[in-house]
Amino acid sequence: MIALAETRNVTMRFGSFAAVDSVDLSVGVGEVVGLLGANGAGKTTVIRLLLGLVRPSQGEVSLFGAPPSMATRRRIGYVPQTLGLYDDLTVQENWTFTASAFDSTRIALPPSISDARDRLVGTLPLGLQRRVAFAVAFSHQPELLVLDEPTSGVGPLSRARLWQDIRDSAEHGTGVLVTTHNMEEAEQCDRLAVMAGGHVVAEGTVAEVIGDRHVVEARCDSWQDAFSVLDAEGLIVQVQGDVLRVPASPQHVEEVLTRHHLRADVATVPANLEEAFVSIVSAGALR
Amino acid sequence: MWTMIVKEFRQLKRDRRTLALLIVLPVLLLVVFGYAARFDVSKVTTVVVGPQAEAVAGHLRAPFDLVEIDRNGDRSLAASRLQDGTAVVGVVTGPTQIVALMDGTQLFAVEAAESALAHMAQAAKANGAAVPAIAVQILYNPNLTTSWIMIPGLTGLILLFIGTLITSLGIVRERQTGTIEQLAVMPFRPWDVIIGKIVPYLLLAALDLIAIVLIGMVLFGVPFAGNVATFALGALLFLLVTLGMGVLVSTVSQNQGQAIQLAIMFVVPQILLSGLIFPVSSMAGGVQWIAYVLPLKYFIDISRGVMLKATPLTALWGPLVVLAGMAVIVLGLAVLRFRRDLAPSARRGRTAEAGSKAVAA
Repeated sequence: MIALAETRNVTMRFGSFAAVDSVDLSVGVGEVVGLLGANGAGKTTVIRLLLGLVRPSQGEVSLFGAPPSMATRRRIGYVPQTLGLYDDLTVQENWTFTASAFDSTRIALPPSISDARDRLVGTLPLGLQRRVAFAVAFSHQPELLVLDEPTSGVGPLSRARLWQDIRDSAEHGTGVLVTTHNMEEAEQCDRLAVMAGGHVVAEGTVAEVIGDRHVVEARCDSWQDAFSVLDAEGLIVQVQGDVLRVPASPQHVEEVLTRHHLRADVATVPANLEEAFVSIVSAGALR
Repeated sequence: MWTMIVKEFRQLKRDRRTLALLIVLPVLLLVVFGYAARFDVSKVTTVVVGPQAEAVAGHLRAPFDLVEIDRNGDRSLAASRLQDGTAVVGVVTGPTQIVALMDGTQLFAVEAAESALAHMAQAAKANGAAVPAIAVQILYNPNLTTSWIMIPGLTGLILLFIGTLITSLGIVRERQTGTIEQLAVMPFRPWDVIIGKIVPYLLLAALDLIAIVLIGMVLFGVPFAGNVATFALGALLFLLVTLGMGVLVSTVSQNQGQAIQLAIMFVVPQILLSGLIFPVSSMAGGVQWIAYVLPLKYFIDISRGVMLKATPLTALWGPLVVLAGMAVIVLGLAVLRFRRDLAPSARRGRTAEAGSKAVAA
């Protein structure tokens, strides 16, 4: 696959602190790559490196086969967490400014946001602002879209619309690099790179990232009591309805519950992405 | 309540700019009003020309500070010395009468000189001494109208306000809203962004300048005696300095509040120490040097000179060169710093501070 964006053994140090450490990452044509990680994992620094906003302390960054440059900027669309829109300009004025900067003035405002063309961006609901930011970033039909937490703070409907837009772009051949810590969103990516402490600690498709990780499902009469004792034992417990999911061995879970005179049906089931993420990141943090 | 007080002090301790404003500004005001805020003039630069130059000069005592005595000189020489600012008083001696030409743009110096001449005449009369009668003729501002002096200076103040405060706010807003990062990844060269940010303020300031000058002329009858191009050149150079200060302020401010604080620290000393209100010549020596590093002082020299005295370009080369030098230094520094914000790929991340910003972003 042709790599639109690639980092090879990239390290970014600030003094003695490595915000990004030996990261290899690539985004191919028509591929949606999710950069998954907790706050401070190094996701935004990787994006800044790829955009050429900072230069790596070590390693190589390439966009379309060359180092980031003025020429590569024309082929990228970027939506930062802060959206990068001018609140005191209308949707149309923001569109015109960006289109003019990219010499793509012949492209008209997309119908999805044209109803808001004369409204000031600052007066729009956040979901619509994000749609505008996405449309503006896509106005020059970039080959690579870089989206930093694109659905942060928006409702489920707006999130679904945005992801529809992202998938549509990818189907037309645009490579998309998207950072998120939302697991539902991550599951929509073709490939994931999980970051922790500046490292890529896992990568691949959702199934590959989850791997053969399993959790224990415990069903008992009083899930609240069971939760309390498992939590007190230092286990990470998730509640789904009245079912508890614990990343531990079934014997350990049974032993803890029995010790507290709680009866439960315990079964081992495949982990979901969130559980796999917690497991990977916890292990990564210990590195 | 105690908790609130402690919390407030803790925040204040970490807000160094506010602390600086709280400490520096009162100290500055104290210095200004203690040493600089003086309307009394102790030295009035004076030239004496004409056949009786030496004799008349012999009678002139303080505050007259004789800078030139030329018995071959005439009225035009004395007038040119007033026009180029070499002297405030030009005494022209003739065979029958003596005339003291005075520069009406120097209100307080003229008042001091008039008072000294009157005192001289009174003392001579009392002593029965023969002192020549000196007629007074005030040039450029015959009625010593205050607004004529203030309005050319105010034009500088307006340029300073727009150039420094408004420009810095405009740039900091880009940083605060995160759009500066968007600009940095757009296909703009750093120069495109810098010039694109500065030019609108330059035009706005130019329009403001024209409006103020016209309003001053219409409402207050302030003359515009000199060359418009010379005035425009001075204004352009001064504006480049103030725009540079505005950009510099923006590069070290993370939000608009910080930018306003810093801009105040730039603007207030200029209002108080540039000669706009208090004559530079009457300030104490220890404070006077501050005036000479403030760009507004040089623009006031140019604006008052051109508007009121028709001072030609050749006589204003001094302040023009100083302003040009300041523009190169300040704007150069500002552009370099602003460019670093826009093209950070030119540097590698090495500092812990930058690191924390990048991680936090």
